[in-house]
Amino acid sequence: MKPDILEEASEIWFGPQHVSAHGWATKLTLIGDYIVECDPNAGYFHRSAEKCLEFRDFRQGSLIMERICMIEAFLSEYPYIAAVERLSGVEVPERAKVMRTIMLEANRIHSLQFWMGQFGGELGLFTMLLWPWVDREYFLDAFEELTGSRHTVSYNTPGGTRYDFTPEFLAKLDKAIVRLEERIPVFDEMLSGSPTFKLRTKGIGHYTAQQGLKWGLSGPNIKACGIPMDLRKDDPDPNLAYDMIDWEVPVTENPEHPGECDAFDRTRQRFAEIATSVDIIRKLLPLVPEGNIVDPKARAKANRLPEGEAYGRVEGTRGVTTLWLKTTEKAQTPYRAKIRGPCFASYYSLKHLVPGLRFADFVVVFGSLDPYPGWWDR
Amino acid sequence: MQFDFFQWLAGIPDWIYGVLLWFWHLIEGVFLWIWGVFDYLWTLVADPDNFMFLMRALFFPGLVFLLLGLIFIVWFTRKVWGRIQDRRGPMHIGKYGGLQLIVDAIKLVAKETIIPDKAKRWMYRILPSLLLLIVLVPFMFIPWDPYWNIVGAPGSAFPDLSVSLVLIFAFLTAVPVFALLIGWVSGSKYTLIGGFRAANNQFASEIPMIISSVGPAMLAGSLSLYGIASAQSSVWYIVLLPINFVTFLVASIASVGTFPFDAPVADSEVIFGWRTELSGIYFTMTYFAEFAEQMLYSALMVALFFGGFNGLPFLPGYVNFLIKFLVVFFIFIVVTSSWFRLRQDQIVRLCWKYLLPLSILNVMLVMLGLAYFDWLIPLVTGVG
Repeated sequence: MKPDILEEASEIWFGPQHVSAHGWATKLTLIGDYIVECDPNAGYFHRSAEKCLEFRDFRQGSLIMERICMIEAFLSEYPYIAAVERLSGVEVPERAKVMRTIMLEANRIHSLQFWMGQFGGELGLFTMLLWPWVDREYFLDAFEELTGSRHTVSYNTPGGTRYDFTPEFLAKLDKAIVRLEERIPVFDEMLSGSPTFKLRTKGIGHYTAQQGLKWGLSGPNIKACGIPMDLRKDDPDPNLAYDMIDWEVPVTENPEHPGECDAFDRTRQRFAEIATSVDIIRKLLPLVPEGNIVDPKARAKANRLPEGEAYGRVEGTRGVTTLWLKTTEKAQTPYRAKIRGPCFASYYSLKHLVPGLRFADFVVVFGSLDPYPGWWDR
Repeated sequence: MQFDFFQWLAGIPDWIYGVLLWFWHLIEGVFLWIWGVFDYLWTLVADPDNFMFLMRALFFPGLVFLLLGLIFIVWFTRKVWGRIQDRRGPMHIGKYGGLQLIVDAIKLVAKETIIPDKAKRWMYRILPSLLLLIVLVPFMFIPWDPYWNIVGAPGSAFPDLSVSLVLIFAFLTAVPVFALLIGWVSGSKYTLIGGFRAANNQFASEIPMIISSVGPAMLAGSLSLYGIASAQSSVWYIVLLPINFVTFLVASIASVGTFPFDAPVADSEVIFGWRTELSGIYFTMTYFAEFAEQMLYSALMVALFFGGFNGLPFLPGYVNFLIKFLVVFFIFIVVTSSWFRLRQDQIVRLCWKYLLPLSILNVMLVMLGLAYFDWLIPLVTGVG
C-alpha cells in the first residue's frame, strides 16, 4: 500500500466498547468502505488465569479453567484435569470415562448453539438470535440437574467426575436432544437455506487449508477446509471414551474450491459438528457401565504431585485447547501452567482475512471464526 | 422671542400628559395589533369549516390520534416480534404490557442528555425534533375516511391537494438527509458511517418506491392520495398490481431502514449507526420517528393498493382503513423479522437490479392495459 493512498484512510476502533466486541478491540483502517488494515489487539480481557492457577491446588485449578470460557465449561476445564491425571497417575473408572465423554459432547452442542444465536444476531436477524438460545435452555436445565449450576459446572475432577448421572438428568438430556434434533433442520434452513445468509457469507473470509494450518487454526475452522483434523480421532485420550464407538470426523467440502473454506462453509461445518456430537451421545448413552464415578484414591494421589511436566489437551468447540503443566517435587500447586487456547490463532488470523473486505463484512468474518476473548487473554 | 418662564412652568403638566399619552398610544397600538391578530384568528377558528379542520388536525386523524397510534404500534411490533422470536414481548406493565412504551418514554426522557464534545450543539439539539416533525407532516394527506380527514374530499373547504402523493415523497426524501446531518454533527466516526449508510439506503430505495406508486396513480388517473383511494371502490389495486405492491413494500422497508435493510443502524457493525451519540429525549424522538415512518408507509400502502377507506360497506371508512392498516403493518413486521441484514452494496443491487425493472415493467403494463383494454377504465377509476 502506497503512503499517499493511506492519507485518505481513517482509523476506527472496533471495540472495546463496541456492542459486538465483548472484551476486545480491533483497530481497522478504512478507505471509504473498504478495510485496508486490521490490527487485532489482545489484552482487554486479561484476568491472569495462568497466574491464578499457580496459587490453587490440583483439585481447585479446574474451577479457574472453566471460568476462562464459561460457554464450554466442561471442555475448558478438561485439559487441566487431563494433565493432572497424567502426572499423578490416577486410574479413571470406566463409568467416569463414558460419562465425561457424554458431557463433553453435550457441552459442545450447547456451545455451538450459543454460537449459532450469536452469529445470527451479528448478521442482524434477531429471530435467529433467540431461537437457538431457547433450545440451549434445555441443555442448561440438564446441566443444572446434574451439577446444580448452569454455567460454572465443576463437573470433572482428577480421577473421575464429581456428580453421578440420575434418571432425572437422563430424562432432561434426552428431552434436550430430542428437541435439538427436531429443530436443527429448521436452523439449517434458516442459516444455510436463507438467500440473504448466502449473500452475506459466500466467499467472505476464505482461506486455504495451508493458510489455516500456518496461522494455527484448528477445530471446525480447519475441518471446514475438508481436512479431518480432530484430536478425538487422531489422539484419543485414554481417559475418554471416544474409541469405544464408531463415528466419523465431520468435514465440509467446498464444491467450487476444494481445500478452501469461507464463512458459509464454516457455518455448515458447525452444523455437522452438532450432528456428530448428537451421534456420539446417542451411541454412548447405552454403553455407560456400572461402577465408581471417581477413583477412591484420587484425593490422596492428586494432593501432592511428583516433579514433572505434562500436557493435557482436548478438542474444544473452537479448536484444540491445550494446557502444559509443570510441577516441582511434592508440589501442592503447579509451578507453571501455560494455556494455549484455540482462539488466539483465529483472532489474529483476522489480520490476514479482513483486509480487502467491506466494513460490514468484518462481523461476518469474526463471527464465523467464533473467537472467544477468554482464550487469548488468559 | 423672549423666553417666558411662567408660561413654560404652566405647560409642564401638558407636556407630561403628552408623553404619557404617546406611550399609551404606543401600548394601545401594539395591544390592538395583537388583539386584531387574535381576533382574526378567532374568527377563522369560529368558522364551522375551519373549526372542524382544527379539531381533525389536533385530535382525530391528527396529532393525538397519531401519538396514541404510535404507542399502540410500538407495543404491537414488540409483541409480534416476541411471538415470532419464541418469547413473550412486554408483559409486565399494564394489561399485556400495553403501558410499556409509556414507561420506556418516561425512562428515556428522564435520562441525562450527554452531548459529545465534538458535536455541534445547536444542530444536535434541534435535528431530532425536526426529523420527527418532517415524518409527522405527511400524515396530513392520508385518507383515513371519506370525510374525517385532515384534508378532505375535493369540493370541501379543505380539499386534498391534487399532487399530495408527490408532496408526501418530497417530505420523505428529507428524512435520510436528517439522518445524515445527525450523523455528521454528532462528531463520531460511527455516526458518520451510519449517516452515509442511511443516505445510501435512500438512494437505493427511493426510485423503485416512487415508480411503484406510479401504477396506482395512472390507474386512478389522479396524483391525489384521496383520489387514488376513492377510485378503488370497485376493485383494489392489489388485485391488478400484486408485484407492484411487493416492490413498494420492499422499497419502503429499505427506505425506513428496519431489519433486513438496517445497515444505517446495524448494532453489530456500527454500534447504533447515526443514533449512536443520541441519548435521552433526542433518542426518543428518533425512535418515535422510525416507527412513525413505518406507520406512514403502511398507511400509504393501504391507500395505494388496498382501497383506502373502501371495504365493508356497513363499517365506517376509518375502521376499514385501520383494519387494513394493521394487516399491512403485520406483513411489515413479519418481513422485518425473517431476513438477515443485507450489506449496503447488496441493498443497492437488490433495489436497482430487481425492484427498479419490476416496477418499470408494471408501469408499462398499466400503460398497455389502459391503452388497449379501455373497458377496464370505468372499473379501475371507480367512475362508471
